[in-house]
Amino acid sequence: MLGFVIQRALQAFMVMAVMSVLVFCGVYAIGNPVDIVIPPDATQQLREETIAKLGLDQPLYIQYFTFVGNLLHGDFGRSFVYNVPVLELIGGRLPATLELVLISVFTATFLGVVLGIYAGYKPDSRISKTIMIVSILGFSVPSFWVGLILILTFAVNFNLLPAGGRGETVDVFGIPWSFLTIDGLRHIALPAINLALFKLSMMIRLARAGTREIMLTDTIKFARAAGISEEVILRRHLLKLISIPIVTVFGLELGSTLAFAVVTESIFSWPGVGKLIIDSIGLLDRPVMVAYLILVALLFVTINFTVDLVFALIDPRLRHGGKA
Amino acid sequence: MKTNRLIVGLALGAGLLSGVSAYAQTLTVAVRGGPDSMDPHYSALGPHAEAAKHIYDTLVWSGENLQIEPGLATSWEPVDEDTWEFKLREGIKFHDGSDFDAEDVKFSIERIPAVTGPTTTEIYVRRIKEVEIIDAYTLHLHTDGPAATLPYDFVRLFIVSSDAAADYSTSETAAAGFNSGAAAIGTGPFKFVSWEPKGDLVLERFDDYWRGVGPWETVVRKEMPDDSARLATLLAGQVDIINYISSVDYLTVKDNPAVDAVLGDSVYIMNMQLDQREVTPMVRAKDGSDLAENPFRKQEVRDALNYAIDRETMVEIVLEGLGKPANQLMPAGFFGSSDDIPMPVYDPAKAKELLAAAGYADGFEMDLYCTSDRLPGDGAICQGLGQMFAQVGITTNVNAISKTVYFPAQAKGEYSIYMNGWGTLTGEASYTLGSLAHSDNPEVKLGAFNRTGYSNPEVDRLLQAGATMLDADARRTAYEEAMKLVVADKVLNPIVQLQTVWGARAGKFEFTPRADEDTLAFFIKPKE
Repeated sequence: MLGFVIQRALQAFMVMAVMSVLVFCGVYAIGNPVDIVIPPDATQQLREETIAKLGLDQPLYIQYFTFVGNLLHGDFGRSFVYNVPVLELIGGRLPATLELVLISVFTATFLGVVLGIYAGYKPDSRISKTIMIVSILGFSVPSFWVGLILILTFAVNFNLLPAGGRGETVDVFGIPWSFLTIDGLRHIALPAINLALFKLSMMIRLARAGTREIMLTDTIKFARAAGISEEVILRRHLLKLISIPIVTVFGLELGSTLAFAVVTESIFSWPGVGKLIIDSIGLLDRPVMVAYLILVALLFVTINFTVDLVFALIDPRLRHGGKA
Repeated sequence: MKTNRLIVGLALGAGLLSGVSAYAQTLTVAVRGGPDSMDPHYSALGPHAEAAKHIYDTLVWSGENLQIEPGLATSWEPVDEDTWEFKLREGIKFHDGSDFDAEDVKFSIERIPAVTGPTTTEIYVRRIKEVEIIDAYTLHLHTDGPAATLPYDFVRLFIVSSDAAADYSTSETAAAGFNSGAAAIGTGPFKFVSWEPKGDLVLERFDDYWRGVGPWETVVRKEMPDDSARLATLLAGQVDIINYISSVDYLTVKDNPAVDAVLGDSVYIMNMQLDQREVTPMVRAKDGSDLAENPFRKQEVRDALNYAIDRETMVEIVLEGLGKPANQLMPAGFFGSSDDIPMPVYDPAKAKELLAAAGYADGFEMDLYCTSDRLPGDGAICQGLGQMFAQVGITTNVNAISKTVYFPAQAKGEYSIYMNGWGTLTGEASYTLGSLAHSDNPEVKLGAFNRTGYSNPEVDRLLQAGATMLDADARRTAYEEAMKLVVADKVLNPIVQLQTVWGARAGKFEFTPRADEDTLAFFIKPKE
């Protein structure tokens, strides 16, 4: 187990090193951020001074190694645009994304698995067919459009829920959370639904396919023959057997939603990290982009690592590698 | 009144105003762009200065049409070739109760180089060599040579408190000190309450403001870059006023009885520029072979391109009426604009004739580049231009791209024909002509944004002379002459002047649009 952890840590380190080089070169190729942010009446001399002040007059490899050197001291640098430490900037917006994403991914997974198992257990019932039709819609309708329709319907036409923003927050351990207030929940409802719809559909499909397959296997037949009740079969045997693909997808979805909830965040003016990164790309705010993408790589590596551990718990065969 | 109560009820129901009892005292504005810091000296960006104007004051105020007026300074005049004397307003209080005097001005000017970010505010003080305090309310500003436009440079020079900001005036400490509010002490109409990057800026009324007591006890400025999201919050009754309604949304908003649309002329003019280098990269013959020369160096070709542009159609069809055809690089009426410049005529036959005369009877092929996400309608205008040029036989590949890619590539000289907006933010010609039309010459600190290689010795002479003329009328004449020459050379081609649309909840607010597009809460009044 320890070897596994060390191996994973090394892999993670490599991924992040490669990532930082790719991002650095990519941003460098787009051009000089000073050309975007310099005021129109600046003189040539001021332009040169500004470039030098930001260290952008240095060759690429020197800029890169300066960055890595600071990174090893735990310093991700300061944003060009806001002149505040990058970690502070990202950290300040992370809670907003975190609560939105966790609420939507967990809701989607819970509902999706329950509905999916039902649809797989009773494939011919009318309810199952309705569930499947809804899931097709969730898959095929683009999420930005769904977001706009949600706003139009619930905020503009019926005035039931706010159209955007985060609402009232409560500080817990010095971090503002909005899911603890009524007003905050009202603000979170529409973006969470918007974000959850696609994941819900995917979970329904995964759970249904798994259920249909497993229900035909000998395991279930023998369990039934042994007189175990249907409820226990579903809960104990079926759920365990269909959960490998669901856990995999859950991990990947959680990661990608945390990192790239940007469409939903933009449409609902949700002050999360997705919006931050898009704005930073727009202004070529290199320290924020690089730090953010490295953190995203770290996030994915961590999630995948956790998923692997969970596999080992669910499925004894995986615990022993290829030996079983 | 009943309907007002209903609307208030709905807004309260929407949960936005929980905790605020007196509704009429709060103004909630959703804006497209917000500040980058609470330190006013950090950035020269428009949205940054707009937010700063709520908390801080400037020595010289720029009015609705960008005419300069007394601000914290009551008067200013040159005392000799390179010295300006500024008299300061007496009896002004900072938000912390301390008095404003010449020391604060000197401090503010001198801290700028240490704290400014990449959008450098040093442009406001680049001409100042030394600040001399004569007495508590008189300053002498010594400049590096005659600086005729110094008062115009000062319209965005914000004054901070020399006591409150003393410990927060290095690059490392400024953001922390100002963003926490400790140093965010100004003399402006509102006191700082809270702000976070890209989030809400919350302000409360300053009762000792020298212009008088403002109409709003609390002001919340929400930053919402997405155009449709901003409009949705207005339609949902979550906010009172929004800026920058897009031309597409304008069509629906103007027929909506719940929303007042307020139109204002913008300072931005779409400016199509033609590369003047010997060899230019993005132009070729129709069969793909190289041309013998850069066609844009010929006056006939430049004239032909102008005859090919139908500016009226551009405004009516492409911009849905939200604009005006432009004949010069600044809005009419600004200092240095000329009344003698005719509006360009649309005449495609004449354009073909001129192309033939220049040796391009069969036209040629070119790649046109424009920004698509910087100003309302910029991408659409680009496509319109492409079609109009195609009609006179010039095959045009339209590239309407993000400003993030456009500006660095434009600076590197990768384009041949390109268009972006240019706003004359100071309201006078040296800002625009000095940067764009003077030949690129670091020695005289002019032409820093001349990316075309355009060089007209007469224009250079007029601009250099104008910069040192302390007599306003003589300077105006010099700039008018320069403007006429630049427009006639047609290297820089004004296409249309844009208009800006604000949206407000119907019948509740009175405000006059400003030419620099700022949305300033102090000047927005509730309708009785």
